[in-house]
Formats: sequence, C-alpha cells, structure tokens
Amino acid sequence: MWYKIQRKIAPYVFIFPGVLFYLMVTFIPAIIGVGLSFTNWSIITPKFRWVGLRNYERLLTDDLFKTSLINTFRYAVWLIPGVIIVSLLLALLLNTKVRGITFFRTIYYLPMVTPIAVASVIWMWIYDRRTGILNYIIGLFGLAPRNWLNDIKTALGSIVVMGIWLAVGGNMIIYLAALQGISRSYYEAAEIDGAGYWQRLRFITLPLLKPTTLFIVITTTMGALRAFAQMNIMTQGGPLNSTTTIVFYIFQAAFTDLRMGYAAAMSVVLFLITLVLTFIDWKFLGKGVNYDAE
Amino acid sequence: MLNNQQIDHSTGRRHVARAKILTVLTYVALVSIGVIMLIPFLWMVLGSFKTVREVMQFPPTFIPKDPTLANYKEVFSRLPFAHYYLNTIITSVIPTVITVLTASMAGFGFAKYRFAGRNFIFWLILATMMIPYPVTIVPLYVMAYRAGLVNTYTGLIIVSLSSAFGIFMMRQFCLTIPDDLLDAARIDGSSEFGIFFKIITPLTKPALATLTIFTFTGNWNAYMWPLLMVNTDRLRTLSLAIPLFNGQYASFPNLVYAASTMAVLPVILLFVFNQRYFTEGIAMSGLKE
Repeated sequence: MWYKIQRKIAPYVFIFPGVLFYLMVTFIPAIIGVGLSFTNWSIITPKFRWVGLRNYERLLTDDLFKTSLINTFRYAVWLIPGVIIVSLLLALLLNTKVRGITFFRTIYYLPMVTPIAVASVIWMWIYDRRTGILNYIIGLFGLAPRNWLNDIKTALGSIVVMGIWLAVGGNMIIYLAALQGISRSYYEAAEIDGAGYWQRLRFITLPLLKPTTLFIVITTTMGALRAFAQMNIMTQGGPLNSTTTIVFYIFQAAFTDLRMGYAAAMSVVLFLITLVLTFIDWKFLGKGVNYDAE
Repeated sequence: MLNNQQIDHSTGRRHVARAKILTVLTYVALVSIGVIMLIPFLWMVLGSFKTVREVMQFPPTFIPKDPTLANYKEVFSRLPFAHYYLNTIITSVIPTVITVLTASMAGFGFAKYRFAGRNFIFWLILATMMIPYPVTIVPLYVMAYRAGLVNTYTGLIIVSLSSAFGIFMMRQFCLTIPDDLLDAARIDGSSEFGIFFKIITPLTKPALATLTIFTFTGNWNAYMWPLLMVNTDRLRTLSLAIPLFNGQYASFPNLVYAASTMAVLPVILLFVFNQRYFTEGIAMSGLKE
C-alpha cells in the first residue's frame, strides 16, 4: 500500500523544487511583466495607475527606442555571420588530422569561461586610444590611431569584434561535434566519384551542417538580443546612443528613469521580436538535409 | 609503360607535397587565430606584472621589463578584495549545489515516471526557455524588491536555484538508464529516494560533473542580476567590483590587470582541468533534437 502511494507521489516530489525554482524566475515574472506593461508604476511609491496601451503607443513615437532596435539589429547582423564563419572555419581546421587539437580547443574556448565584466574591462584597454594595443598594431601598418569606443563609426563594431571573440569557442565545439557525426561513407562515395575537397565541402559537409548552423543562428540571435554587459561597461550606450541596444535601454528606463511600466512594455516587445526572429530563422534555414531519409 | 609509371610517381609526389603544404597552412591558421584569441589574456596577465609607468607608455611593451608582484599586493590593500572573493564564492557555490540537486531530481522525475501533468509541465518549461532572460528582469526585480531581497545574499542567489538546461540534460541521461535496474532495486525494498541517491546519482556522475561546472561558471560570471541586487560594498561580487575599480583607478591599469587576473583565474583553472565536461556539455546543448 505504502509502496503504491510512494510511487504516485515520488515524481511530484522529484520535480517540484526544480520546476518551482525555474518557473518562479521565468514564467511568473513574464506574466507579471505583461501586467506591469499596462501601468505607469515607478516602484518608489506603491501607487500606480492602469494606463491601458499608452506605454505601447508611446513606444511607437520614441526615437531612442527606434534607435535601440536598429542598434540591436545591426549588432546581430554583424555578429551572426562573424561567429558562424570563424567557428566553422576553426571546426573544419580542427577536424583534419592535426596534432594538438586539445591545446587549440582550450585556447579558443577560454573567452567563453571568462567573466563578461572582466572581458569588457580588458577590451576597453585594448581599444584605449592612448595606450591600447590595437592602435599600436594598426600603427605598424601606418594607420592613424582611433578612439575606438568613443567614435560613432567604430563603437558598435568594436563591441561586435569582442562578441565574436567571446562566442566562437563554444560554437566551434558544436560544429566539431556535428562534423564528427557525419558518416565517412558520404565522403568515400564522393571521392570515388572524383569530388575534390571544395566539392565535398560544398555538397556534403555544408548541407549536412545546416541544422547545426540553424541552431547557432538562433542561439547567437538570442545572445545578440540580450547583449548588455559590454554596453553597460564599455560605452554606457554611447557615444550619442550609437551602442544603446534594446536591453540597455530597458535597463535605463527601468532603473535610471524608474519607469517600470514603460520598461516592461519594451520587454514584452523584445519577447515578441525574439519569437518572430526565431520563427523566421526556422522558416528560412529550417529545412534540414537528411541523405538517409531517401 | 615506363613513361606511364614516371607520371604516376610524380603526381604521387605532388600529392604528398600538397598535403604537406595544406598541413602547414592549417597550423598557420590555427596558431594565428589562437594568438588573436589569446591577446586579451596575455595583455592582462603581462600587464599585471608591469609598473604603472611601463603600462602607460606608448608604444607598449609586451614582456614586463622588471616584473613585479606589487600590483597584486596593492589590490588587496586598496580594495576589500578578499571579501569580494568570498561573496563570489558564496553566490557561486550555494546556487550550484542547489541547482545540481533540483535539476537532477527533476530530470529523473520527468524521465522515469508517468504522472498526470507530466507532458504539460515539461512543455511549459520548454516554452518558457524561449523567453530571453532580460525580458523578465524588470518584473523579477520588482518581485525581489517587494520581497525585501535587494541587498541580500538571498536576493543574489534566489534566481539561480534551478536550470532548464540542467533539467533537460539530466532527463536525457536518465532516459538511457534501463527501467529494469530501478525495478530490481524496488524488489530489493529500496524507496524511490533510495533509487535516486543510490542508483541514479552514481550512474549519472559525468552529467552531474558537467552540470556542476557549467552552473558554477555561469554563477561566477553573473553580471546583470547582481548589478541590480547589490549596491553596497558588503555584497559586491568580483564581476561588479572589477568594472567599478576600473572606473576609479583609470590611471592605474596595472592594478586593474592584477585584479582582473585574480578574478578570471579560478574559472580558467576549473576549465583547463575539466575540459572534457565543458566540451560534453556544449556539444549536448547543440545536439538536442
């Protein structure tokens, strides 16, 4: 009897803490956030009014919101191909019969485990106008020093470069795992047909990596949409809001201007954008290739 | 005939030569990308041994001219650095232990039992994973604020007591364990919890190690949530202290480099000695169907 009851209750006891702690900090605040987005709450006083859709209406005419969306979009558009190209290249290089794979993999992966706050600080010094190593290196090629993080032309690009540096290690490992999962027989068959390296890459490797690429595009998009620490530490959204991304703006609205309702409305919009982008990624890249199915 | 053989021979040699060139090119590419990836670390570590005069000069030096450990000592005297370390350890270790326990229990529950609501709850977690973390940060802050958790360790820790990635990973691992094994234990009189702790936990050790290391690194590196929760020196973690220190000591990058090196070192050592688990965890996150 006890045995039967125990088996009925046990699964709930097992999943309860994990599910509770997870939903408590994700699902529940998401619901509260939607409610919050219809208020004008400032958090310092307990008083607030329901304002209906006014926060959303205001977003439509908010130039800084538009700027932050464009900046986020630009950040993602530069980051994604950069990450894909470099991590795929590294994976292809490491998938040959070279020695010291572990050693190289360690080095490429190091940025992934580095605290983003510390990485941001170090990159600030690399980009430093007066003493930075980047200006020294471009100086060797006869280029004039730049104020990388304080120039509207280069600030966002500088953060993109750091973003690529951060992300390639992990994605390289994902590509490497996918490459090692491709059956040798495809390559053998292609070799018999006289296919060279580039043909094999073009007609076997890349098509079969498509699901992996889709995964990386989606996770990198998500990562780009939530980029915050770099902007907060390196540029404070500047110069002239050229690195104000959507999350940075949400932060400012909520915790500097204390417009919680407005910030919540932006968060809801960010969520909708995430859904739409993921859907588009899926639609355009989603048709995976499966040679075995035929 | 002879002619033919000669041709074969020379194309063969050409093949070998080409393969050699390719190998060399591969190494050149791997090494040069590796150097680029390492520059920030080298810059930081080498800079931490330089004097302030040397670190501020242009053109910069790479190898410190007269290396000194003074910067490390000075960081400790100018900042409550040991205290930041302690805060970071507290807010990394406690959530990691709890997450590993809650996620592995939940993963086991989802994998090895049939119960009402299982699919719905699992689907809910899946759907919730789609919500980017910053989207919930404003309401989450409001919740913590109302609960009086701002500027407390509880407030820092409470957001990372479980993980969807952990639940999924542990579920995948538990699915591979045969039911017969669990039934055999039940016949021997083991309770359901006995099964979890005596059979599941030992069998999923590699997965638990992966989850532990991932969660720990994530907590150690956390920035956004601590930034909101903490505005007193008493609770500051390394990720909060370093950028602040950088702002205050903008003319002493040598000190900033020393502090940064110390903040990065624990996770890097953890990674270097447990690479296998990192690689497995990352590969798993990419392989899920």
